[in-house]
Amino acid sequence: MSEDSAIRRIGSLPFQKMNEETLVVDPKTREVHLLNATASRVWELLARPHTIRDLVGSLGREFDAPEETLRADVTALVSELAGKGLIDPSGWRKDDR
Amino acid sequence: MIPRDGSAARCHDDEVVGLDSAAALIRTAQTWAHDNLVPFNVSLETTLECNIRCIHCYNFDRDEPRARTRHACGVEGAPSEQRRLSTDELLALIGDLRAAGCMFLSLTGGEVLTHPDLFALLERARELNLAVQLLTNGTMLRPGIAGKLARFPNLLGASVSLYGATAAVHDAITQVPGSFQRTWDGVERLRAAGVSVRLKFIVMRQNAHETEPMMAMATGRDFPYSVDLTITARHDGTDGSLAARIDGPQLESLYRGALRPLLPPGKRPPPPAETFNCNCARGNCAISATGEVYPCISVPWSAGNVRDRPFAKIWRDSPVFQRIRGLTLADFPKCAPCPHRGHCTHDRGAAFNATGDYTGADPFVCETAALAHRLADESGD
Repeated sequence: MSEDSAIRRIGSLPFQKMNEETLVVDPKTREVHLLNATASRVWELLARPHTIRDLVGSLGREFDAPEETLRADVTALVSELAGKGLIDPSGWRKDDR
Repeated sequence: MIPRDGSAARCHDDEVVGLDSAAALIRTAQTWAHDNLVPFNVSLETTLECNIRCIHCYNFDRDEPRARTRHACGVEGAPSEQRRLSTDELLALIGDLRAAGCMFLSLTGGEVLTHPDLFALLERARELNLAVQLLTNGTMLRPGIAGKLARFPNLLGASVSLYGATAAVHDAITQVPGSFQRTWDGVERLRAAGVSVRLKFIVMRQNAHETEPMMAMATGRDFPYSVDLTITARHDGTDGSLAARIDGPQLESLYRGALRPLLPPGKRPPPPAETFNCNCARGNCAISATGEVYPCISVPWSAGNVRDRPFAKIWRDSPVFQRIRGLTLADFPKCAPCPHRGHCTHDRGAAFNATGDYTGADPFVCETAALAHRLADESGD
């Protein structure tokens, strides 16, 4: 996945914000995920397609952190979310899995 | 309710089908909802119509004209005389529930599959990222329906009620010949379509002797299940359902026999006073087919009607919910001094339906707790 690939969250997954964290349920895999504050913010942003570059830019305006650190963290986070099947690397809504 | 499979559920309204492997995380979320007064789990009674006529039904006596209602419910007529929520009202209500923080939506009835617009309700829930489970008798899961349900990516699964290990016993309770086979056909269709199923055994006088075969049947077919012994008076104020309750000797026989492996082992001291309250009106609530908002599906104590006030206002401000949230152990006169509290289900629905008082106590529940305590003492753990 390149820095300019559009990604978005799987649009149909049930979720609920719990203070700073977010609970995400995947009925198909029967798994439940608890996203921390940073991952929750990325989850919110990924309601619409974003590239990693977009995410780093958005988070850079919200968090006081060096851009390179943010890029590394966001890339790792996106990879983790993709590994869990919570985001769609194609950027298109994929509701009928 | 006695879960068989490590589910996080503490009561009917906490039950989440299909996520047993994440029980600890679900419990954490339920606790967060309880502490923050978020209506995380909502049971929505989509209809009172049903295609079977269970002798123990808590809605109303399906063999009699519906004429009476319990004053404490706050409704002015019998369910049949009330105007049911329309599909448009239900669709709007689902949006209001989501906005208020609902995550797990249980669609129930009556028989939920009799609702002509069930798939529109599921679609609305999908659009809003709500996790949905169906409470059903399974008999209407004809070929094609299970597959259609399975296409909803937000469907957690179905909780299917079963009343016997044989057709003779089950069908005598539902009063519909063939319902046992149709329920199992439906259950297997759901599984084949990839939908999680949890079986719910309601044990009563008429089927208590089949408890062990029912459990063996579920285990043999590899279905999780829960066992429920609590038959309550009906929400219409009639109490003919109570004739189906198991009696003391049956209870003791079950607790010493088939159900013994399901009972939590060892002696349990009474829980701390601050943990006495359940999730009623804190993380759970229910909405009747006519729009009454209840603290849970088992407690028909109306906090208001969604036709009169928005759900969020009822949830936040209703005197009924404020009262429940303010209760402490000391407000439960039978429970506070009870030495069996550590072994009790604290079933508020049973208490309310037996006494009309949310802080009351159902003698059957008390008897069950005392027996569980006695067995724990005898075991010497």
